[in-house]
Amino acid sequence: MTTESNPQLPPLERLQSTTLSRRKLIFTTGTAVFGAALLAACGSDANDSADGTSNSGTSAGTTPDATTGTTAAPGTTAGEEAPATTDGEATGDLAIAQLAAGLEVLAVSTYQSAADAAGSGALGEVPPAVGEYVATALAHHQAHLDAWNKVITAAGSDEVTEPNAELAPVVAEQFAGVTDVIGAAKLALELEMVASHTYLTAIPLLEAPEAIELAGSIQIVDQQHQSILLFVLGEYPVPDVFQKTDKSAA
Amino acid sequence: MTIDDRRLGELLTESNDLHHDALRTMPATLSDVRDYAHESGDRRPEPAELETFNRRRMQAATHIRDSNGARLVGGAALVGALATLVGRPALADQALDIQMLQTASSLERLAVNTYKAALGLPFIASGNATVKAFAETTMSQHDEHRQAFQALTESMGATAQDEPNPVFQKVVDEAVPTLMTPIDVVNLAAALEEVATETYLFDLTMFEDTAAKELMGSVMGVECQHLAVLLAVAALLDGGGEALIMIPTDVAALPAAAGSVAFPEPFNTINDANVAPAESGAVS
Repeated sequence: MTTESNPQLPPLERLQSTTLSRRKLIFTTGTAVFGAALLAACGSDANDSADGTSNSGTSAGTTPDATTGTTAAPGTTAGEEAPATTDGEATGDLAIAQLAAGLEVLAVSTYQSAADAAGSGALGEVPPAVGEYVATALAHHQAHLDAWNKVITAAGSDEVTEPNAELAPVVAEQFAGVTDVIGAAKLALELEMVASHTYLTAIPLLEAPEAIELAGSIQIVDQQHQSILLFVLGEYPVPDVFQKTDKSAA
Repeated sequence: MTIDDRRLGELLTESNDLHHDALRTMPATLSDVRDYAHESGDRRPEPAELETFNRRRMQAATHIRDSNGARLVGGAALVGALATLVGRPALADQALDIQMLQTASSLERLAVNTYKAALGLPFIASGNATVKAFAETTMSQHDEHRQAFQALTESMGATAQDEPNPVFQKVVDEAVPTLMTPIDVVNLAAALEEVATETYLFDLTMFEDTAAKELMGSVMGVECQHLAVLLAVAALLDGGGEALIMIPTDVAALPAAAGSVAFPEPFNTINDANVAPAESGAVS
């Protein structure tokens, strides 16, 4: 993907200004088959065949995860699957899912780095609420990543394991300058904004209802992360009347 | 308790500025919707659309979260009322998109009315200054949402809804006599925010209109933040931490749970009891 970020800006401002061109996302094809793949993801355990196909099933927006006892991601339920690619390039809903997964990898790695830094004392004294937040947000983003990868692999594509290539170096540079809890919270806030803005941008572009529900359910949690981060930073926790999309990576 | 009134005032001013910025973007969105209205005419929802709406709600109903049910005032009665609605065919004669927009308007009207009533209660009016300011700002934000949904409805050639949602009005009516403390009010407000958030999440999967998705998604992203704040405030009130409900707060003094109580699950799943049926707020 191409980036429109300005290298002359300081790292945090560059992160704020970085946008990824949506031209690389091909929204015109592949949506229907990806929708079927989304339907396949959750129910595929018992039905998957070696070539990646599975039997059809019914869809339910929210399903308990039988293996963990926890609530599974919305939109990852039974159905059929088919690859949503054109000449090897992801298209439609699948392209958005891959973009989302790349952002989630970045969030997981950044929160993990923050947790490690906090544990080593590199951030100074970490208030209990902040430590709890980092652990919780890390687990949330790992769950989000797992959910997207579940549907991506069900569509016949490889799971996403690398962070968003355009944002990762900017975040790494910014994180290198973080020396305290406040700095870490500001970086986390930016990452959460990029994520939730991207999901809001993606929702009208997604066609499969299950994909919309999954994106929306994550958008909500990422917005809520921001409220607590804002509160910690001494800012008003609901600053916008309407959620914005200006930091969207899509 | 220490309140930095000047800082809070500054933050509220910034929020108001953001309100106006957001509203400036609305005309562009609405022009797209007007184009759509001319193209689509007075389309009525197909029976299959309504069937799909109710079928998806029935599916979601199989996964009601106990924690949500506990927060929802009058939850049991509400589930019964909703089960009745879910079980019968939709009778409204507007397109499903319009019905959902009208119902959204009705939820926003109910939220505005409820926050207004709460602000009249002595223990809110003279209570924690941050809670009061939050209620005032949130009421204003809901009113902006109401206006946006109404404008979108009208731009699609339909009548705007300005009455509170009758299904959840009953819940509020039952709760009001029981509001004796701030935490009672916070819990009621949280229940309404949860209804809005989950209704909009569900509706996003049903809309055909792009502008409606954009608007509802952007409103959903704010209602869920109201909910997060209210959950955190409720936890602090419940745990004797009212003094920490201030902006800026004493972060070091916050209990660990403050870092997680506002988002108990990694995904905001849909509880059917919290989804306002599309026809519930439709203009007949």
